[in-house]
Amino acid sequence: MSELSVEAKGLTKYFGAFKAVDHVSLEVPTGSIYGVLGPNGAGKTTSLRMMLGIVDPDSGESRLLGGHAPQSVRHRVGYLPEERGLYPGMKAREAIAFMGALRGLDWAEGRRRAATFMTELGLERVIDEKIRKMSKGMAQMVQLIGSIVHAPDLIVLDEPFSGLDPVNQERLETLVRREQTRGATILFSTHVMAHAERLCDRIAIIARSARRFEGTVDAARALLPMQVRYTPRTDDDGLAALLPAGAERRGDAWQFPIQDDAVEPLLARITASGHGVAGLSIVRPALHDAFVHIVRQVDAGFDADAHADAIEEFAA
Amino acid sequence: MSPFLRTLFVIARRDFLSIVATPTFLLFLLAPLFMIGMGALGGVGASQLADSARGAGRLVVIADPGDMEALRDADDRLRDALPGDRPAALELRIAAANTDPVAVAQEKGRDTYAVMSGSLAAPRIVEREAGSRSGRYLALLATEVLRSRAAGTIAPAAPRFESLTRGGTSIAAQQSIGFGAVFVIFLLTLLLAGQSVGMLAEEKGNKVIEILAAAVPLESVFLGKLLGLLGVAILFIAFWTAMAVGGGLIAMTQIDPAAMAQAGAAAGASAPPAVLAVAPATGWPFFIGMSFLYFVMAFLLLGAVFLGVGAQASTVREIQMLSLPITIFQVAMFSLSTAAANAPGSGLATIAQIIPFSSPLAMAARAATDDAKAVHLLALGWQAIWVALVVYLSVRLFRSGVLSGRSDWRFWKRSAGAG
Repeated sequence: MSELSVEAKGLTKYFGAFKAVDHVSLEVPTGSIYGVLGPNGAGKTTSLRMMLGIVDPDSGESRLLGGHAPQSVRHRVGYLPEERGLYPGMKAREAIAFMGALRGLDWAEGRRRAATFMTELGLERVIDEKIRKMSKGMAQMVQLIGSIVHAPDLIVLDEPFSGLDPVNQERLETLVRREQTRGATILFSTHVMAHAERLCDRIAIIARSARRFEGTVDAARALLPMQVRYTPRTDDDGLAALLPAGAERRGDAWQFPIQDDAVEPLLARITASGHGVAGLSIVRPALHDAFVHIVRQVDAGFDADAHADAIEEFAA
Repeated sequence: MSPFLRTLFVIARRDFLSIVATPTFLLFLLAPLFMIGMGALGGVGASQLADSARGAGRLVVIADPGDMEALRDADDRLRDALPGDRPAALELRIAAANTDPVAVAQEKGRDTYAVMSGSLAAPRIVEREAGSRSGRYLALLATEVLRSRAAGTIAPAAPRFESLTRGGTSIAAQQSIGFGAVFVIFLLTLLLAGQSVGMLAEEKGNKVIEILAAAVPLESVFLGKLLGLLGVAILFIAFWTAMAVGGGLIAMTQIDPAAMAQAGAAAGASAPPAVLAVAPATGWPFFIGMSFLYFVMAFLLLGAVFLGVGAQASTVREIQMLSLPITIFQVAMFSLSTAAANAPGSGLATIAQIIPFSSPLAMAARAATDDAKAVHLLALGWQAIWVALVVYLSVRLFRSGVLSGRSDWRFWKRSAGAG
């Protein structure tokens, strides 16, 4: 693994008697897009805040951008907090320049970049509009620009997609990819799996205050067996015996999970049985299912059967 | 510039502009006009009342016709010689058999302060208030008539008055200057520093605090906010100083130069204006400079306390509740400094000069009465240390409490819960 942009070890935080974060460790490789996933109240935001040195952990430590203390590299970090906030009386251009100036960017340069960014994101109409006159989504985009206007090496976004319409979500994804191309490392939290699945090189899943999974999106999906949907040309009572136990009939099709090494034997059995193939799909469950699976496991302490709902049929 | 200072100025700039560039600030800036206006109205009313009352007051002497001329002459002489306020107008009446001095004293339509009747050697004086000045004056008048009768007319002394133009200001005057400095600094901090109690409420309300806390050290947020507010305060003071100086210059051009020259000749060619004859022990330029620096220190110290306390509050109501103890704290520091200003060199004064929150006020008073200058450098350093300490403690409290998302402000309970 290459150099690390974030290296957090054993972060723990108590709020009174409640353990909000329990020994969370994260290693974010430089140049990657990293997702922190978790249900509401899992401890994502507190973990990020400790990582950035906004809140002091009760135990554990965090190093950023190659072993520096978070406070010493503030000007190289951009952060979009979960609770959005801007001075309502400020104009968008000034607000962005102000946020840049806080991180050491020259005011004039900040204003110039603000105009460029806003034009690129389709907000050129409101460059000199006061924040209080903007819609919530617009203000959020302004704040997002403000947190990356100083071209930081590490960008941390807490729930960046919540509150944005699909068009702006798409723009944000483009922006994130572009920042990665520029060389930045992006760490964001979300509970919307689709964004993580599309964007992230690696993810960590936090549930009930602790980290429950770390790895690539594919590795997370591989936690669950592949799902088979098979539609025979001719069906009779003998077919059920050919299929693995637990196969369920849904209309004309059969659905069942399958282990990786059982695919070829199954195909051979189906071919030999003469029931024919009217439709067959074998797909990995989506990240969504893996996520729900992990969270449920943690919550209830039992293995929940995942249910694949993203199925792509392909002609046999 | 170090990153800390740079971010400090970014915060200060934002705060300064956000306060100054609003219509409300104009109202704030011009607020003293209302005060001056009300004061002027009250003053005019009061002086009119005094004028109308003054004409109505009188002293009455009921005497024999033979004494009338002597009494009138004696009154003319004494009236001019008495320092301070002149006695009320004298009314002479010829004694009749049935004249009752009490009835005369109670006549309607005029204020009668005292009535003298009977023989001049043993007069009866009826006065409105026991031991009043008017009663004593009438007694003096009778004595004067008797004396001039006995000794004949004596030419009055022809004194030559000389006033001390050099030779130092009296201690009492210097103490008054000291008190004046304490009062002005107190008034300005009361008007201006108290605002800092609500300053972080804005950031907490619109959640900007999280951006600030992530981007810059909280110390520079706190200090930057104080600095921004100090900028507003200095703008306010500069504006009113300019107004006062401008007003003074305009007033001087309005005065007839001939009248000025005449006044100068009357006072003596080399006599300086009366105001400048009174000077603080350290001299005017040093004193004014120091008073300004002590104002800055008082502002920063009290502002830092209020900012720190206000940062713990989570609602506007809590901030309003906090402003009472804060004002009481300020008044307590003012009382202590006033007591110190009135007793320079005493133990109380030393205590007031050492307690950091009254130190700027008490030291400004000291600059008026004590000519030692080096001690002020020490005091400024001592106060600066306390500004830093208060800001540091406020930040620690804010970080461990508010930013950690704990609603409970009882920090001792928090640490117990976390343990």
